Amino acid sequence: MASRKEGTGSTATSSSSTAGAAGKGKGKGGSGDSAVKQVQIDGLVVLKIIKHYQEEGQGTEVVQGVLLGLVVEDRLEITNCFPFPQHTEDDADFDEVQYQMEMMRSLRHVNIDHLHVGWYQSTYYGSFVTRALLDSQFSYQHAIEESVVLIYDPIKTAQGSLSLKAYRLTPKLMEVCKEKDFSPEALKKANITFEYMFEEVPIVIKNSHLINVLMWELEKKSAVADKHELLSLASSNHLGKNLQLLMDRVDEMSQDIVKYNTYMRNTSKQQQQKHQQRRQQENMQRQSRGEPPLPEEDLSKLFKPPQPPARMDSLLIAGQINTYCQNIKEFTAQNLGKLFMAQALQEYNN
Amino acid sequence: MSRFFTTGSDSESESSLSGEELVTKPVGGNYGKQPLLLSEDEEDTKRVVRSAKDKRFEELTNLIRTIRNAMKIRDVTKCLEEFELLGKAYGKAKSIVDKEGVPRFYIRILADLEDYLNELWEDKEGKKKMNKNNAKALSTLRQKIRKYNRDFESHITSYKQNPEQSADEDAEKNEEDSEGSSDEDEDEDGVSAATFLKKKSEAPSGESRKFLKKMDDEDEDSEDSEDDEDWDTGSTSSDSDSEEEEGKQTALASRFLKKAPTTDEDKKAAEKKREDKAKKKHDRKSKRLDEEEEDNEGGEWERVRGGVPLVKKPKMFAKGTEITHAVVIKKLNEILQARGKKGTDRAAQIELLQLLVQIAAENNLGEGVIVKIKFNIIASLYDYNPNLATYMKPEMWGKCLDCINELMDILFANPNIFVGENILEESENLHNADQPLRVRGCILTLVERMDEEFTKIMQNTDPHSQEYVEHLKDEAQVCAIIERVQRYLEEKGTTEEVCRIYLLRILHTYYKFDYKAHQRQLTPPEGSSKSEQDQAENEGEDSAVLMERLCKYIYAKDRTDRIRTCAILCHIYHHALHSRWYQARDLMLMSHLQDNIQHADPPVQILYNRTMVQLGICAFRQGLTKDAHNALLDIQSSGRAKELLGQGLLLRSLQERNQEQEKVERRRQVPFHLHINLELLECVYLVSAMLLEIPYMAAHESDARRRMISKQFHHQLRVGERQPLLGPPESMREHVVAASKAMKMGDWKTCHSFIINEKMNGKVWDLFPEADKVRTMLVRKIQEESLRTYLFTYSSVYDSISMETLSDMFELDLPTVHSIISKMIINEELMASLDQPTQTVVMHRTEPTAQQNLALQLAEKLGSLVENNERVFDHKQGTYGGYFRDQKDGYRKNEGYMRRGGYRQQQSQTAY
Repeated sequence: MASRKEGTGSTATSSSSTAGAAGKGKGKGGSGDSAVKQVQIDGLVVLKIIKHYQEEGQGTEVVQGVLLGLVVEDRLEITNCFPFPQHTEDDADFDEVQYQMEMMRSLRHVNIDHLHVGWYQSTYYGSFVTRALLDSQFSYQHAIEESVVLIYDPIKTAQGSLSLKAYRLTPKLMEVCKEKDFSPEALKKANITFEYMFEEVPIVIKNSHLINVLMWELEKKSAVADKHELLSLASSNHLGKNLQLLMDRVDEMSQDIVKYNTYMRNTSKQQQQKHQQRRQQENMQRQSRGEPPLPEEDLSKLFKPPQPPARMDSLLIAGQINTYCQNIKEFTAQNLGKLFMAQALQEYNN
Repeated sequence: MSRFFTTGSDSESESSLSGEELVTKPVGGNYGKQPLLLSEDEEDTKRVVRSAKDKRFEELTNLIRTIRNAMKIRDVTKCLEEFELLGKAYGKAKSIVDKEGVPRFYIRILADLEDYLNELWEDKEGKKKMNKNNAKALSTLRQKIRKYNRDFESHITSYKQNPEQSADEDAEKNEEDSEGSSDEDEDEDGVSAATFLKKKSEAPSGESRKFLKKMDDEDEDSEDSEDDEDWDTGSTSSDSDSEEEEGKQTALASRFLKKAPTTDEDKKAAEKKREDKAKKKHDRKSKRLDEEEEDNEGGEWERVRGGVPLVKKPKMFAKGTEITHAVVIKKLNEILQARGKKGTDRAAQIELLQLLVQIAAENNLGEGVIVKIKFNIIASLYDYNPNLATYMKPEMWGKCLDCINELMDILFANPNIFVGENILEESENLHNADQPLRVRGCILTLVERMDEEFTKIMQNTDPHSQEYVEHLKDEAQVCAIIERVQRYLEEKGTTEEVCRIYLLRILHTYYKFDYKAHQRQLTPPEGSSKSEQDQAENEGEDSAVLMERLCKYIYAKDRTDRIRTCAILCHIYHHALHSRWYQARDLMLMSHLQDNIQHADPPVQILYNRTMVQLGICAFRQGLTKDAHNALLDIQSSGRAKELLGQGLLLRSLQERNQEQEKVERRRQVPFHLHINLELLECVYLVSAMLLEIPYMAAHESDARRRMISKQFHHQLRVGERQPLLGPPESMREHVVAASKAMKMGDWKTCHSFIINEKMNGKVWDLFPEADKVRTMLVRKIQEESLRTYLFTYSSVYDSISMETLSDMFELDLPTVHSIISKMIINEELMASLDQPTQTVVMHRTEPTAQQNLALQLAEKLGSLVENNERVFDHKQGTYGGYFRDQKDGYRKNEGYMRRGGYRQQQSQTAY
């Protein structure tokens, strides 16, 4: 276990640069008015999260935990974390909030940052854009403005590159969520699309100099074979899984659209109801005969308008599809590179 | 004459009385029985018409008796109930009471009851011990009776002052009554047991009786119990009465001796009393059961009863009466009138009828009469069981069969007798020998009923007992009878009747495998002279020919749809049973039964299900797995095969249906000897599903839209997979699952060893008539399908494969392998070509990889997504106005939205 940790530790440092690069790339996302512009994570936190998943996460199961830290200017420093205990059905009366408070109090006693600055969650092939995540992140961000959610992808990490991303809800989405109105009109008014639901905050992993020194020491010692994961050419399995998941989402999307379509048709049908016209004609006749016109009744009372489908789900699905696509793009790009490299190597050898 | 008294003195009717007493029913039930035993016309009429007074008083006395019983056992609750009933009954009898004055016994019970209650009330200790209900009832009853007795105060006080006198009066009245009745009795021969007894009872002189009563009454206060005995068990008094007659002087002694019985009669009485009491304890409720029990009861009861026929025999007709047709018919009608009435002793009725036949035969009254009576005997045999659900007792059943046989004998011997339902009672000709005899009655109905009874017997016998085998032996007899009736009706009956009897015959034939015919088929006619002889020895007709003949007649002549449907189904079943698959299938398809069978009644539907199953099994034997699977799919997929085939009720649905439904369903069950082995059925289904599904699964492994052929099979596979630890297969299902797994790998040998082995042979395959043939068929099927599966699964790893290797691997000859592979290539299941000179299969490798497959699927899905999305878009535009369509199109064109213009336009138009 120790060696494993070391391995991941070393990659963490090396990937800190890539994370930073990603952050730069996302910079154009325009998180200008957001309270937090950068997330600085302690190496300890990364290791703790990884360890948590190693110990408790399995397959599609996700693990979650609380992030602790403090805000410095526009930088959110995450200095510690602790996991949520795994839920079981039998202890339904387990009080999560109390557990968290207890935990934080205890941490304060040992002089650790005890400010709640967000939470982390593991993910299975990047399928994290869900309603649950949205809801809990909303409540976090509602209560603590600076809070972020860290998404840790163990599968990608196992392939050799640490995948850790910080997300926040955009102010627009916060507004919408506050309204709790997910009808098509409201979303249209808010002018929100799936691209602007989450914003990614660049991550920097920071270690103390002492640790850095240790890392260098270790790097020298570690064999080359430890890094081979990065060069693995077997890609079909991963790609297949991603495609499968993507397909599921597309199916859902399709269904959602059909639902929306029927809704549209129903509303239009109702608007075109002959009823109104008939009433008008009748009134015209009455007027010509000199009788008082019949009152214009409220249509919505006569015909209940069809319930508009909540559009938030489709937004989320779209967001999820987007992440999958990004994943696949990234993955295939990397793999192509690897393949070319392998080809070149082979040619060289021959 | 007091009803109470008579019943008391009649020792024969006691048995039934004791039963009736308990339910406090008017003893009227005895009435029906008594005249029957006595068969005394005069008396009969006289007794049935009772005066209103008798009836009411009888009711009252019965109630009183119950109250006394209740008092004795300190059941105050019961007392209260009965007292209320008594009050009501008294109210009913009011008009009579007004005329006759308040009856003494009524006053007496009121007084006694009050005393009794007071006594109880005083007894603080006892009251404490009493349970809650009783205590409550006690206080209510006490209040009630106080209130009630106020009306009768004068009577009660007079009674209390002079209890003897009132009792005397009672006795005197009884005496008067009995004397009156005896007068009537004296007019007749007085031979019958009952009248004899009655005569005895009338004998005791007034004095002794009075004396007795006095004693009784004196005892009464102190010894309530003895009095009670006097009341509740009529037998004691009657026996003592009859004894008194023997020696008047000893009357007193015997009265006292009653408790320590010395004489035979007393012993008997005591025994009876004991039995009575035991009975009371046991079957208070089931009066009917009680009666039946009595019928069976040996010893004492039998002896008493035994006397009856002896007495009866000469009583059937008065001595010297000339026995003529008219008399016999009259007698017959008389007996029949009692039929169906409550309380009629059915066994006795049957006996009487049989006697009558004897008499008729002795006196040479001609066959007409005998036939007539026989008809009635059989009918009353059927009637013997009042309940539809219960079945005949073996002895009854044997009698019934004999009787029908005799009847048939007569009918065959006398072709001039016409039998028919439509012959009216009036137009019957029973004795006029000049004209053909005409008798009302339907032999067909009798036989149908007999068949039903047989089914019922079989249904109610434990199929795994020796008894069942015994019963099943009767089947031959039943068949023989049906055959005889068939012969008879072929000559005389209408087409409709012939159809019905044919159906019966068919129903007894269709499920039997004709081994003889089978044997004959197997041994081809070598040495024709010898085999001809054999054939002559064997029964004349193959069952197949027989079925053909009978069914064709029905198809042609029948007008009711039901008989034809049944006949067709049986015919198909028979074909299927004898492996004539194509005939069976064609008949099934031609009949179009599949379309409208759901409108048929449940028994026919059960028959249909049975037929389908048999058809499926037949197809399997022929190696037509697909047909077998299709035929069995409906039955097996529901998981209720047992219920659908009428071979048992499911426990699960037991709660859902009520008792009534359950009874009906129970009656629908098919007797055990007709059952189709459910395990065999399931195994056949699963194996054919395996042979279809495994290659299919291998072929469509990566296809997202593949469907299951058989859900049940998949279910079994999943169950197998869920097993944490896989041991060697035990049950049939496990065997099939294990075999499927082997087949998936193309390992036909393992598959074969799982499907065909000792265990499976014992469980399934040996049940087929031609087990070896089926097994060889099965092996071959497994080889072929394994080959296909192998090619599907592993074609991607081969560039080419030699057919010879394949033929070695699957132990199939080269042409077969060649044909299988060719078929696969033609059906585009296998992307390959055959290289003739080298005898190899060259793979083309056009199958997409997994990723490619996924990508294709994704593209497809995205296509549909886009389409859906566009529809939404269309909609939006549509709502803005159907009026501006032209403009809109123009706009679109300008903007270059017309990627797929023509198509889109069509779409938008069809959308509205």
